[in-house]
Amino acid sequence: MGDILTLVGKRLGLGLIILLVISLIIFFMVELLPGDIAQAVLGQSATPENLAALRREMGLDQPAIVRYLAWLSEAITLDFGSSIVTDARVTEIIGERFMNTLFLAAYAAVIAVPVSIILGVIVALLRNSIFDRVANVISLSFISSPEFFLGYILILYFAVKWGMFPAIASLSEGMTFLELLQRTFLPALTLVLVVMAHMMRMTRAAIINLLASPYIEMARLKGAPPWKVIVKHALPNAWAPIINVVALNLAYLITGVVLVEVVFVYPGIGQALVDAVSKRDFPVVQACCLIFAATFILLNLAADVGAILTNPRLRHPK
Amino acid sequence: MVFVILYFALLLLLSCGAAYYNQRSAFLLLFSLTLVSLVLAIIGGIPALRFVAIAAGMLLAAGMMSYAFREFLTALASDEMAKELRTAPLTAAFGMFVIFIVAVMGIFAPAIAPHGEAEIISQAFAPPDNNMLLGADQLGRDMFSRIIYGARNTVALALCGTVLAFILGAMAGLLAATKGGFFDGTMGRIADVIMSIPSLIFALLMLSIFGGSLAAPSTSAWLLFGFAVIVGTLFLAAAAYSVLSWIIGAAIVVGVSFAFALAFTSVFDASEVILILVVAVIYSPRVFRLTRAVAGNVVVMDYIEAAKLRGEKNWYLIRREILPNSTAPLVAEFGLEFCFVFLLIAGLSFLGLGIQPPTADWGSMVRENATLISFGEITPLIPAAAIALLTVAVNFVVDWMLHRSSGLKE
Repeated sequence: MGDILTLVGKRLGLGLIILLVISLIIFFMVELLPGDIAQAVLGQSATPENLAALRREMGLDQPAIVRYLAWLSEAITLDFGSSIVTDARVTEIIGERFMNTLFLAAYAAVIAVPVSIILGVIVALLRNSIFDRVANVISLSFISSPEFFLGYILILYFAVKWGMFPAIASLSEGMTFLELLQRTFLPALTLVLVVMAHMMRMTRAAIINLLASPYIEMARLKGAPPWKVIVKHALPNAWAPIINVVALNLAYLITGVVLVEVVFVYPGIGQALVDAVSKRDFPVVQACCLIFAATFILLNLAADVGAILTNPRLRHPK
Repeated sequence: MVFVILYFALLLLLSCGAAYYNQRSAFLLLFSLTLVSLVLAIIGGIPALRFVAIAAGMLLAAGMMSYAFREFLTALASDEMAKELRTAPLTAAFGMFVIFIVAVMGIFAPAIAPHGEAEIISQAFAPPDNNMLLGADQLGRDMFSRIIYGARNTVALALCGTVLAFILGAMAGLLAATKGGFFDGTMGRIADVIMSIPSLIFALLMLSIFGGSLAAPSTSAWLLFGFAVIVGTLFLAAAAYSVLSWIIGAAIVVGVSFAFALAFTSVFDASEVILILVVAVIYSPRVFRLTRAVAGNVVVMDYIEAAKLRGEKNWYLIRREILPNSTAPLVAEFGLEFCFVFLLIAGLSFLGLGIQPPTADWGSMVRENATLISFGEITPLIPAAAIALLTVAVNFVVDWMLHRSSGLKE
């Protein structure tokens, strides 16, 4: 048991270090700005007095490392300062939006994970048949399509031509849960299609890899019935790759969400990020990037830790 | 009614024929198409059936086209190439065909497009007529011409980005594999950090600082210069072996980087240069890892040991021993990398943060004309479909090459 704990602990520590380095990158990237933030806010025509005043107000007269430490210690308590465009608190701007994004991602994941794993296993069992090849071509096409292409096709058919779901996923107060599910169905479906293709291919590869291993061959040769080969011999070893696939694709979901939110005008954090980038609202950009990066790292971490925990060989050290 | 009867009669005839001549997969395909059409005809009536028929017809046409294209290529190619090409699956032939078409479109864009890319010739959203094949966009520019020009602009940017990412990543990977030790470790950690930030998010962060419509030409030139110097230093680290050669090399690197930055900034404008650099930085770690792994397998071979004992330098090892033995996976990776870069650039342009107007570009065209979709028009989907088609095509070709180079049959 001790082995597992040290392995997991090491992995967690590494994740923390990477997160710290990323916060450094995100903060000091803005320092590279030609001029500085005050210059960017006031534009080229600013007078030196105005610039100096704004610099003092934003604390830009202090050395960068001091500001970084202050920013980091506030960011840990989820306080990212205030927007330089609207003066609102960043936490207020993105707080609720983050929950919306999480909801959308969870909605998509709940549909995509079981369906794609089952499909992946089926395709792996039927490998090299005509169905496998057709599934391969279709999933490759979905992976290669940009998210906005799938999104607009769904809008064209489901919203405009057939009128089954709304084209714009706007949220309002006091909606019932069912209404919410119906409103956000199209963006969720877009995400599902993209992620499902990825997950299916990865599951298929993992299972095929597994079925080629000697102990499966051995089980077959000793005459075990096919279901027993799958359930008793293949499945316990398949958990690690499958958990890996799921976590990696959830991480992918988190970034795919940006484009989908823009297509469907969904009030999520991705949309906030895109708006902030075009307005050059750096505190919001930094906060969104940090949140996205942290989620991404967390999910990758979960993939690794899951793989360690489900590996039977590590549970029984020699 | 006649259509329905004819359609099913044809399908049944074909599937029975396939079954009779023992074409198992063809029979399965045809008969499942028959069953699907039957179900859809009951649910959706004749329109749905027509849709299925058109889709199947288009697939068939694409299949025939790629078959003919493959035969065409085998007829043209030399004996050895022809043997390889004959093993290519139809999907790969289709991919090559699409790449060929897009290349022709991009190279001869001014000759093919009937109007200029920024030329306003009619009212906004004018419907298609004899003059404009696909109608006008939101400013009254010819949609068809813009799609043709888009092939040139979007693909050229993506190609440049991929090439830069590749040079940086591959050079660092080769060096890491041959030198090992501290250099290897540092490069590996840097790659880890860059890869642990989602690519779209990282691109948005960098673009918010350097890029977009506010990009300054001097910044972009300096960034390009810096990038070129880094790559040059990597080359130098591989090739130089004495203090004198370091000094001479450094002078050459600075000169070449300067010329490179000048040449690049005269071809692309500031925001495009920054876009290219951003993608190059984001995707080089992937190339680095792959190159390092592939080259790492080659470095331990006996013939490398023999070359080292002969007294060959690092540069010779990389150029004459390692590179020729790792081309196949690297070429496939180049294709994959191009897909990622292309999709990222298209996504950024779609968000309005990539290629800036009035330059025609597939990603931003979708966004600009998206309002048409709510009227049931499919024109805005055409550039999006073009993006998808090109990416699928490259993926198909890469799939085949990977299969060929690994020699595995699963």
